[in-house]
Amino acid sequence: MKFGNLLKKELRELITVQALVSMIFTMVLLIVMGQIMGGAMEEGFDTSKITLCNQDDSKFTAAVLEKVDNSEDNDINYVELQSDDYAAEMERLGIKSLVIIPQGYGESITEKHEPAPVKFVSVFQSGGITSSIGSISASDVIGEIETVCTDEVLLKNYGLSDDEISLIRAPMQTVEYTVNNGKIAEVSPSALGAIYMMQSMIAPFAIFFLLLMASQMIMTAISTEKIDKTLETLLSAPVSRMSVLGAKMLAAVITALLNALFMIVGFVFYIVGMMGTAVNEITINAGPNTIDVPADEVTNVGQAMAELGLALTPMSYVLFALQLFLTIAIGLAVSLILGAMATDVKSVQTLTIPIMVAVMIPFFITMLTDVNSMSAGIKLIVYAIPFTHTYTALTNLMNGDMLMYWIGLAYQIIFFAVCMFLAVRMFTTDRLFTMSFAAGKKKTFGKKDQAAPEEQ
Amino acid sequence: MGTVLEVKELSKKYPKKENFAVEKISFSVEEGEIFALIGPNGAGKTTTIRMISTLIQATEGDALVAGHSIIKEPDKVRECITYLPDEAGAYKTMTGQKYLEFMAGLFAKDSDMLNKYVERGKAICGLGDRLNEKIGGYSRGMIRKLLLARAVMTEPKLAIMDEATSGLDVINALEIRKMIKALAKEHNMSFLLSSHNMLEIEYVSDRVGIMTGGKLMVVGRIDELKERYQAANLEEVFERVVKNNEVR
Repeated sequence: MKFGNLLKKELRELITVQALVSMIFTMVLLIVMGQIMGGAMEEGFDTSKITLCNQDDSKFTAAVLEKVDNSEDNDINYVELQSDDYAAEMERLGIKSLVIIPQGYGESITEKHEPAPVKFVSVFQSGGITSSIGSISASDVIGEIETVCTDEVLLKNYGLSDDEISLIRAPMQTVEYTVNNGKIAEVSPSALGAIYMMQSMIAPFAIFFLLLMASQMIMTAISTEKIDKTLETLLSAPVSRMSVLGAKMLAAVITALLNALFMIVGFVFYIVGMMGTAVNEITINAGPNTIDVPADEVTNVGQAMAELGLALTPMSYVLFALQLFLTIAIGLAVSLILGAMATDVKSVQTLTIPIMVAVMIPFFITMLTDVNSMSAGIKLIVYAIPFTHTYTALTNLMNGDMLMYWIGLAYQIIFFAVCMFLAVRMFTTDRLFTMSFAAGKKKTFGKKDQAAPEEQ
Repeated sequence: MGTVLEVKELSKKYPKKENFAVEKISFSVEEGEIFALIGPNGAGKTTTIRMISTLIQATEGDALVAGHSIIKEPDKVRECITYLPDEAGAYKTMTGQKYLEFMAGLFAKDSDMLNKYVERGKAICGLGDRLNEKIGGYSRGMIRKLLLARAVMTEPKLAIMDEATSGLDVINALEIRKMIKALAKEHNMSFLLSSHNMLEIEYVSDRVGIMTGGKLMVVGRIDELKERYQAANLEEVFERVVKNNEVR
């Protein structure tokens, strides 16, 4: 009854209306951002937005454009230019990119047997990664015009059939295989890498936010109790200190998980919204040919990942959840110790820094590089941070590197045990009231006078 | 009348400190008695109170609260006491009503007892409808009244209060002093107070102990002390004990 009462109080303190609004806002923000990014990418990839001005009246160019126009993927918008001032013309037409086939293009190819220029004009945009997609799509159309031109020339000059032209264009078909841990699957390593990255990038984000949120919550909870002296009232009541400690930690875990749930839902929608379009359009350079990976083939990549032992099994999820739980527990125990040292709001902010650094360093390192590829000294330092093992856990599980996983888990268990020992020791002794950290200077055992810390 | 608190040669020494914060102090508080510890800053009053409240551990000696040792039976001791720290706050996101319910829940063994405690708390604090408002919007005086009500609603054998009226205006402070006196008289509740306010102590306390430098120099009834020191008031006694180290 008393523990339930304490837990209810802690939850009421942590899960306020403001906190819920903040959680929902973050989720909605991520969803909306995903939709905006996805919409921008879709618009960029959409070749129907390509505007073309044909200034050449040759039969050859007409035949080429007819073929390009008939392609299902292309929907070309033809325009007439009134002057050579392309900037003014594009502004008048309200377009961002324009392909111009100049007068004499057909004649140059068919009569002079010389390559002729095709102009591509686009408005410079500095609005982020999606701004460059429009030019990629226009370049695709120009490439297609070039291909059709070649076909037309070859057909006309050498009387080759479509099949013969196809053979000349692609004399071989590359079948790619990928090997992992002695297993082999028919899949392009580039395609595999793209999907692997998309899957594994969610976990570090979740860990990052989860850790920071849980740590800050418990730190604020314990420091506020100490600063407001409600902790003294609470601990002089007939309730064990372990119950108070346990209720605080459990409430922080519940709130952190709730936060993470909202965050993950938002993040998944963000990824789906943003990458959903991109997945359909992923083009992976694979030698002389290009392989498109449309949505249905993503499933095949998924099968290949399973064949290669790269897919997560239910057991992997359990093991990952175990490590995630340990990580949160470590974060909470460390925060509890730090939070108990706070004497004011400023010192709480200062004391948050060590946790943030310990969470951020492995987050960025594991996002940017493979820890194992670093020098021995740096590797040792990075692995000494307990949170590193959580960031690498998913990759280890996906790669089947169980030894590294178990070493990481064992290290975290030891680290957690030490932290809990210190936290419990602090919570059950005078240190809870005597330890203090004022921002700017560290003070221990004694504040105003000899008689007692915080003595009035 | 039985003894509610018996302090026996209680000492506290903090690590890395040369001197004792509290050194071998002994005194007792009887049932229904209001006992006050007075002394200058750093005298060791709060350390003594914290040891008796089981918040910090004694280095030497012991104290018995209703027969339970603070060293060996801290859980039992906490069932018999309530503690009101100086400048204490309350949970700002809770309403006054919820706060009383939460604190009562830590003492009550069943829901009937809980309701009884809460009703008593509501009556004592006198905050009326304001109890339905969040504590974050309370004035300092309202918070202190709420905390005082919390400290006495469970009718502890010993209520320990550090600067019970600190930060309160004259009217509020007077109300609280009257309340303490009434509770001791009518409910036979014992109080251990700590204060700098000599007038308050003189008005409310039955006996006082004057501390300085971690030592309990003098203990006695106020009228006895005044007579012993040939002093007009407690403030004069205090000055002679603390400033002149005059022990009679």
